[in-house]
Amino acid sequence: MSTLLHNTVDRLDRPSAYYVGKNKRRKYSQDEPEKVEEPVDNLKNATTLYVGNLSFYTTEEQIHELFSKCGEIKRLVMGLDRYNKTPCGFCFVEYYTHQDALDCLKYVGGTKLDERIIRTDLDPGFEEGRQYGRGKSGGQVRDEYREEYDPGRGGYGRAYAEDQQRREEEDYGAGR
Amino acid sequence: MADYDRRPHGPRGGRKRRYREDDDYDRRQRRRYEEPLIVKVRRQLLTIAESAARRAEDDAISIARSVAENYGDEEFRNSFVDIAIDLVLEQPLKIPFIAATVLVANFQKSELVSDVLNRSSESLQKYVDVGAWREVKLLLRFLGCLQSIFEGDGIFPVLEELFARAVDLQTASSEDLLGLELVKIILFTIPYVMASPATGFESHATALLEKTDIIASTPHALVDLVNPFGPETGKPTATQSFISLVQTQLQNESSRSWELSCLPRPWKGAREALEADEAREEEGEPKSVEDGPKHPFPQITVPSPVKNGTRAIFPEVYLSVYANQDIETVPPTSDIASSLMRDVLVDTINILDFNRIATAKFLIDVDCYFTTNTFVKRATPFDRLRDLPGDRSQWKPEDVAVDAVFSQLFQLPSPEHKLVYYHSVLTECCKIAPAAIAPSLGRAIRFLYRGLETIDLDLSHRFLDWFSHHLSNFGFTWKWSEWVDDLELPLVHPRMAFITGALDKEIRLSFAQRIRGTLPDPYQDLITEGKEKDTPDFKYQSDTTPYAAEGRETMQLVRKKASNEEIQPVIDAIEEQAKSMGVEDPLLSSTDAFVTAICFVGSKSLSHVLSCIERNKERLLAIGPKSSQARRQIITSVMEYWVDQPGIGINIIDKLLNYTILTPLSVIEWALVDKLEAGTVLAKSHVFEMISATVGKVTNRLRQIVAARTQQGLYEPQLSVLDETLNREKVDMQALFKVIEDSIVSVAGGSNDELMERGDGSGNLPEDEIIRQWGQRWLRVFRRKAGVEESFITDAMATATPVGTIAPAPETVTSEIAPADGEMDVAEVEAGADFS
Repeated sequence: MSTLLHNTVDRLDRPSAYYVGKNKRRKYSQDEPEKVEEPVDNLKNATTLYVGNLSFYTTEEQIHELFSKCGEIKRLVMGLDRYNKTPCGFCFVEYYTHQDALDCLKYVGGTKLDERIIRTDLDPGFEEGRQYGRGKSGGQVRDEYREEYDPGRGGYGRAYAEDQQRREEEDYGAGR
Repeated sequence: MADYDRRPHGPRGGRKRRYREDDDYDRRQRRRYEEPLIVKVRRQLLTIAESAARRAEDDAISIARSVAENYGDEEFRNSFVDIAIDLVLEQPLKIPFIAATVLVANFQKSELVSDVLNRSSESLQKYVDVGAWREVKLLLRFLGCLQSIFEGDGIFPVLEELFARAVDLQTASSEDLLGLELVKIILFTIPYVMASPATGFESHATALLEKTDIIASTPHALVDLVNPFGPETGKPTATQSFISLVQTQLQNESSRSWELSCLPRPWKGAREALEADEAREEEGEPKSVEDGPKHPFPQITVPSPVKNGTRAIFPEVYLSVYANQDIETVPPTSDIASSLMRDVLVDTINILDFNRIATAKFLIDVDCYFTTNTFVKRATPFDRLRDLPGDRSQWKPEDVAVDAVFSQLFQLPSPEHKLVYYHSVLTECCKIAPAAIAPSLGRAIRFLYRGLETIDLDLSHRFLDWFSHHLSNFGFTWKWSEWVDDLELPLVHPRMAFITGALDKEIRLSFAQRIRGTLPDPYQDLITEGKEKDTPDFKYQSDTTPYAAEGRETMQLVRKKASNEEIQPVIDAIEEQAKSMGVEDPLLSSTDAFVTAICFVGSKSLSHVLSCIERNKERLLAIGPKSSQARRQIITSVMEYWVDQPGIGINIIDKLLNYTILTPLSVIEWALVDKLEAGTVLAKSHVFEMISATVGKVTNRLRQIVAARTQQGLYEPQLSVLDETLNREKVDMQALFKVIEDSIVSVAGGSNDELMERGDGSGNLPEDEIIRQWGQRWLRVFRRKAGVEESFITDAMATATPVGTIAPAPETVTSEIAPADGEMDVAEVEAGADFS
């Protein structure tokens, strides 16, 4: 394990730019910015990972098979569509130790599961309610407006697809 | 590059794509911005030797010049010193190039070199004190490369001192391994000294080598334990350890006047360029660059005895997956290049585990860090090597790189990092340079496949696990057609076991239908219908199954989350019926129905079955204490329900262990006593997986208890409590290993009753020999595991606070803080409390 103050190459076991950015935005929108916890602080002992870009069809067993290569899994929470209660392409994996979670970021994040490159991010911990998609139609926000067709994640983004359909109907008349 | 030039807003800092226009504007603005010199020099230093397009020598000169000219700038000076040392410790391939930069700097501004030496020695002293021997090795290598600027004998006295410590350790115990590690450091420093500009040290090196010989060449008892290929039956083995190999190679090299042809000598080019410059500027005699001032070698105190850091040391063996090819694509073991490359690549791999992409890049660029023409051009196809002129090197850089990763993946008893790290490095290599790496991996896979009958069983499973995981990252494409003939082999043959095991693992990471699609016709039968079923059938659905009606009722009750009391009558009914049919232990019948029902109701996913188990925990927990047979019935029911997808079964067993519904012993007995089936069970890879996982759970727990027991500042009464727990669980662990030993030893020796009764009873069926070999391979793995754990506990306990140590009285604490007058509290010393 490297003991240097600075590493000569980047570390892959840091919170993502997304996580840091999300917390930063919150920080500036509040009146008392100094009260907000440093994002890295509440991840100091994090044992949970957010896992993204899963296929809707990827099962718990598949996730378990891959992620247990980094250590015993304490809990696995599948991300579900808020309305249908079907998998919507993300999950939380909780390990027993912080080190296992870090190792997972380093060794599994950015590799393939079910033939998709998955994303892992350190997470302060699962809370009830977070297993549901936050998008308007129940899934993840990214699946609302996606303009690319992704067969593993329900085709086009839902809002985008609806939009397309409306446009088509306007152009060619409804019922076609 | 990392933290060194992390600016608040990088080139794309903080902006999202929708601001593209602004971004373009910004970029145009930035083009006019000139990078400060310090940033440029940092980058130059950090990336030195990385590109084949630039001469590292030129960068070395330019860096040294810039830093020397700006010596007055403290930030400039310090960042050079910091980065230089950090690179030595994190990117060992660059050590000769960093050293060349320092050599040039010595000529220009020798104060700068004093700073570097001061920082190196601080760092070195720190690592010597804590016993971080890899870091010590790297810093010594760096200093070794600088030998020419030292007064007197330079680095040799400290090497002699390390040797003296090694002798002490070896004299104290013939089992010593730390002494061997010290010798390894010495051996891996010498070549770098000899490839440095320093001259006249040949006799020093030879004398030191003569001394190390006795330690390095004496076979160590544990070497056979870490040999990737188990001893062949009946043949005495003499496995050569890695350091004995290096010793021989160095001796050969000394007789060839230290040619060391693979080691880069960037100082040569730098020296020539500098001399030319000097000659031009002064229009006079070219001045020798050697003439920089000499420095005293840093003072290093080697404690006596030295201690070992956090990682346990085991002997090492040189493994190459490219051995015995008709073309030498990697240096042969007779050539010192094999060890020098392996050593520095393995360090690179293990140090940089925090960025596998960087690791992979170093591996792909390996040819940049050795003398030009050491390797053939990257990605030269294997078949093309034959056409090269005879005197040209045939070493493929990809093969050398991949070989180093496999040496770690197959390190016994275990590598430094989790196995999946080494998987990920190979994946990244393949992503960066697929055309170069994929064929090399192919040859490695074939080598390992051919060796399946003799390779250590633990390693054969690592191979299986890596293979399936690797394929899952690359669309599951493999040339299965080349193994078609092996499908004729009996199921218990190691090759068939590998094929079925690999397909099962592939399915676990994907799904049966997908994997079926990747297989040629002859393999189709291996993907049975059952594997494609998401929900396996519930056996009580068929009326021919005994207790069919009750089984279905149990299932309905479990499904509607009935209470324990509601379930009881059905259980009673089954047991009644069983009793009337003369079943010896009716509890087995009811347990089967109950557990099968849980599996079926929970078949949708792991969390479904977990909540099912959770709801019925009480009843499940009550089964074991009533009958150990019934406890094992739980395992049978689970594994039978999931017979086509054993991975799910294993997973459930694992959770049942966590709930203490099962005991580790019950899992071992189930597999190796109840289901041994004349030893054929030993060929099933999922059974090995299950037993390894179960044993791993026990040993991990024990290690946690040891960690708790040996933590510092622990006193009575906690000491005794923990000690008791430790001893109790240790006995349990030993009992577990004993059961494994006793059941397998009969298979390995061919004395297992069932095995003897097979066929004509002669024990001479062709499969019988295969089964005996499985037994021997299993034995080796679990005997090693038992030994490793046993010695871990012994080593850890050697420095633990003894039972009976009472917390020091408050006065003692104050005296500890009081100025050190050289007097220690006597009571404390007597109690043996080790606060070091």
